[in-house]
Amino acid sequence: MVNEPVLRITDLTRRFGVTTALDAVNLAVQPGTVHGLVGENGAGKTTLIRHVLGLLKARIGTVRVFGRDPVEEPVAVLSRIGYLSEENDLPGWMRVDELIRYTRAFHQGWDDAYAEELRQAFALDPAAKIKGLSKGQKARAGLLVALAHRPDLLVLDEPSSGLDPIVRRDILGAIIRTVAQEGRTVLFSSHLLEEVEQVADHVTMIHHGKVVLSAPLDDIKGSHRCVTMRFAHGRDQPAAIDGVVRWDGAGAEWTALARGTSDELANAASSCGGTIVSEHVPSLDEVFVAYVGRPATSGRDA
Amino acid sequence: MRSPAAAIAWEFYHRQRWGLAALALYFVILAAIRIFISEPGQHFTEDNPWGVAFVTALPTSASIAYFLAVFSFGLSGDVAARESMFPARMFTLPVTSAQLALWPMLYGTAAMAVLWLAIRLLAIWPAAFNVPVAWPALFGAVLLAWIQALTWMPYALRGLRVLVAILWLTMIAFGYSLAIHFKAPEHVMLALLAPHLPLAYLIARRAVARARCSDLPDWRDTLTRLGRIADLLPVRRGHFPSPASAQVWFEWRRHGRSLPLLVGILLPFQLALVFLFNHVPHLVMEVLIAVLLTAPFMAMFVAATVRKSSRDGSDSYELSTFVATRPMSSVALVSAKIQVTIWSTLAAWALVLSATPLALYLSDCWGLVTDLARQLVDVVGTARAITIGMLGLVALVTTTWKQLVQSLYVGLSGRAWLVKGSAFLALALLFVVVPVGKWVVGTSEALVALWDALPWILTVLVCVKMVAATWIVIRLRDTRLLSGRTLIAGATCWATVVVALLGLLVWLVPTTLLKGHVLALVAILAVPLARLSAAPLALSWNRHR
Repeated sequence: MVNEPVLRITDLTRRFGVTTALDAVNLAVQPGTVHGLVGENGAGKTTLIRHVLGLLKARIGTVRVFGRDPVEEPVAVLSRIGYLSEENDLPGWMRVDELIRYTRAFHQGWDDAYAEELRQAFALDPAAKIKGLSKGQKARAGLLVALAHRPDLLVLDEPSSGLDPIVRRDILGAIIRTVAQEGRTVLFSSHLLEEVEQVADHVTMIHHGKVVLSAPLDDIKGSHRCVTMRFAHGRDQPAAIDGVVRWDGAGAEWTALARGTSDELANAASSCGGTIVSEHVPSLDEVFVAYVGRPATSGRDA
Repeated sequence: MRSPAAAIAWEFYHRQRWGLAALALYFVILAAIRIFISEPGQHFTEDNPWGVAFVTALPTSASIAYFLAVFSFGLSGDVAARESMFPARMFTLPVTSAQLALWPMLYGTAAMAVLWLAIRLLAIWPAAFNVPVAWPALFGAVLLAWIQALTWMPYALRGLRVLVAILWLTMIAFGYSLAIHFKAPEHVMLALLAPHLPLAYLIARRAVARARCSDLPDWRDTLTRLGRIADLLPVRRGHFPSPASAQVWFEWRRHGRSLPLLVGILLPFQLALVFLFNHVPHLVMEVLIAVLLTAPFMAMFVAATVRKSSRDGSDSYELSTFVATRPMSSVALVSAKIQVTIWSTLAAWALVLSATPLALYLSDCWGLVTDLARQLVDVVGTARAITIGMLGLVALVTTTWKQLVQSLYVGLSGRAWLVKGSAFLALALLFVVVPVGKWVVGTSEALVALWDALPWILTVLVCVKMVAATWIVIRLRDTRLLSGRTLIAGATCWATVVVALLGLLVWLVPTTLLKGHVLALVAILAVPLARLSAAPLALSWNRHR
């Protein structure tokens, strides 16, 4: 049985003046998965998430969350979403207990015991004013109110940006717990790729508003190789090998990040007069740089 | 650029080049009118206030407001915030605080002086006016310098800047109004104004220096301690029964207490005057009128914060993500705001209506009010007198509430151009309405003509209101913000209130004075419809961009 995606974005294009923030983006987030959204600053991740929350109206293309339009039906959509952003604009004048009491009113599924458990785990003083909390404590307070109603979809927009490793661990822990214990869905944007790599099932890379790669993390890792090739003679340009996303190097030794199996790449290298001297499965960071980073040499051959 | 002075000047020029170009164009037009169109020595006559208003008063006032906003850095920043409005990015420039304060003040005061001199020389003025040359230029410069000093100063409490600025500038304006009234010669005016500039500069320099090292006075703890008195009152600590009640609580905590608080602060001072002047009946009546107008007047200021739903302390008008992601419809969010404005209005008036009779009774002035009531009863009868009194009170209360909600749609739209444009338009209209109104009141023919044209003017206004309301209703239905049934129910309520008001007016106002259809037009215009209905539409436009 094929599950209906929790989130489906079809041909979404968004322009702000002459800038195209999103360009014909297609995306489907399956239930029970952690979907990592990665890209450089300004790539369009936040714009995409704002469409998901209905804060931006889809002018070209469609956005459906739980099969509904978040602009047309904000109550039905937002009541099932937990949201935490880097901005974290919780009202500074509220106390932590007031924030909990206030947020509780909007969600039928609010779990008091879970909220209290999170409050204690995060060491949040109920009488403390939000504006008096540190950045990390504010993030924890935001995470508490995003999680305590056990949302069907947890949306995290750069949640750990600028936070210390302990708060980041709390956030990652919450994501893992949300998915592993409850089978809920997480949409998680970040440029901290090692975090995404730790928790994501599926990764979508956005570059200049376009989706350049969207696949399960295991597939991405399984279908890419990072190989170092040695050629008999020094080369000014990298070899023309199909599937190479990025070349780095000079002279007789070149490193390529390429799509394909080890055998395919070894055959391609030998046909160009080279041999593979080392090979490894690339990290998500290396794949990301290969797809969205500036070419290290002029001979990018993708 | 080789100096900080040039860099700061360049920044002003670069950011405001289109505004300055528009001003230059205005000067060119004025010069062209003077050189090519008007006869030598021609003046506007006193009976042509529209000419003065549109050619001189309106652009001048608009330019002054523009310069005040630009040179005080008031276009970007929260005027009610405790923090200095001087741009924090400039604090890291390698220049002294004295220079940071000096250059914007020098450019601003020079610009104000040049503005006046150019308009004085190029504009055509009414023959009857002896328009001075020098002192208004200096007065403009002084006004700007003080506004700069007051806006750059950090304050101990939120909103204190607005209060201090209003009081100080009103005092200055009052002082110079007296000087004008007593026909002080120009050199005296100049001598009185000149010391203000160095004084304002010293204060501005101190303000910038304090803001630069985040030396921010803070009285909030003191107020918090005072606020703990409120903890003695029974407070519901339980859960909110619904999202709507939670949102009403949220809005009350954000904006609801401002109006009763402001009225509560002002009332003791106003009512103290009743005790001071209890032997001068006309002064007591004037104080009483001022007391009754306090809530509607303060509501105008409070409305600016009520209509804002952006992030705390942010100078953006965009709805805060926290509010925008509440799982509530835009209509429910607006309705919480409106509910709070009703509570806020009632709380403010409860203060006025409990404190004022008490003060009148204790100051032995209660007899004045009862005498007035008795006179009214003698003239119109008991029933009508009670109705007039009740209607007057209801009118004051609803005016207060209208002040809070009628511009909600502007602020909730979240568009800076609309918010700033509407403020600019209101200011500009004020400058047109005042001279024209003064002229109408002073000219019996104009007054008669206006009275004759009143039904037509009201008809046009009603048409505009109904067309706007129809468009809004269609949009509300098309965007599915409100169902057809709710719209019909709302329209029925509105029509019922209009009919009830019309009934009262027909009963109260003699038909020899105003015809029935004119009263109907008045009733239609008096009951809020279009602007209030536009609020959910504006919020939705802001929320789903």
